Amino acid sequence: MDFEQSPDRVVGTAAVGTGGRPKKAPVPVKIIVAGGFGVGKTTTVGAISEISPLTTEAEMTSASVGIDDPGQATSKTTTTIAMDFGVLTIDQTLKLYIFGTPGQSRFAFMWDDLIKGALGALVVVDTNRIDDCYPAVDYFERAGLPFVVGVNTFNGQMSYSLDEVRWALAVREDVPVLSFDARFRGSVRDALLVVLDQALDKAIRQKS
Amino acid sequence: MTYPDPDDPAHPARPSVRPFLQSGPLAAGGYRPAHTDEEPPATEQTAALRPFVITSGRTDGTDPDIGMETQVTVHPGAGPVRLSPEMRAIVGLCLEPVSVAEISARLRLHLGVTRILVGDLRAAGQLDVHVLNNETPDPETIMRVIRGLRAIT
Repeated sequence: MDFEQSPDRVVGTAAVGTGGRPKKAPVPVKIIVAGGFGVGKTTTVGAISEISPLTTEAEMTSASVGIDDPGQATSKTTTTIAMDFGVLTIDQTLKLYIFGTPGQSRFAFMWDDLIKGALGALVVVDTNRIDDCYPAVDYFERAGLPFVVGVNTFNGQMSYSLDEVRWALAVREDVPVLSFDARFRGSVRDALLVVLDQALDKAIRQKS
Repeated sequence: MTYPDPDDPAHPARPSVRPFLQSGPLAAGGYRPAHTDEEPPATEQTAALRPFVITSGRTDGTDPDIGMETQVTVHPGAGPVRLSPEMRAIVGLCLEPVSVAEISARLRLHLGVTRILVGDLRAAGQLDVHVLNNETPDPETIMRVIRGLRAIT
């Protein structure tokens, strides 16, 4: 991952108000790309983004949950998680942000923040490890965020059919389950368009 | 991880293959979507969190207006003031509209730290934080995103 060099860190006065008025800020919208470790979230973000995916780190404290809980005593753990994200400029006044987020349930405490104002989510699934995406599916269902299940066909191969994936996930009938290839821009674009269709349906329902 | 007793009438066994629907994370104190009337988990933070030196130790009190994608620009006509290196770097990035997440990534500052510093700079009149009026996007905006996405190859 490449990072831009930080500006020099000499203390001084900020040079503000000299470069004229800043341009009008665009309206940001966002789509979440969720899924287990190594299912192709970063590849998905990178395929559609107009910039190399950037990484932001969030440090969070949470009660540890799940199988690695050492005992009855409530233990707090501090976790640093990395989130990759990309940008797509729709036009001068509208920017689409695509955030890839760790799908494990132990990171779910930060999703409330992340999904606020989100259009919808693409849950990326590797058919060899379908259960990796359960926490994300559970969360988006409860949160009422429109989402689409996207099976990443790494080499054009899928261990299970889409019907079998739908059965295993037990998602509602109106949740689309599709396959896509995270390496190709057109394929990611089509998957995101299905997410946006869901988002549009919800927005129209809410308005009427 | 404990699974509910299938004989317990409050937790009827279901044939679902997705165990999280009934047990697991929830039983372990897990992760329901937040309700606005609940206290944020940040209030529970104690000495377990690594102190953030550059935020003077603050780890919460983040302005809820400041999301990851929220756009930030330099406040026109902001007077020159002495700023910490991190704050100066943030202001330097905001000559063009930029998102909080981009600031965090480019300056390699933790997201939580970035949000706090952006909030401070907003309060100090150095930055404009462009808060959206409607939290959930309207159909017209979504249609524009769809058209824009369809146009790319």
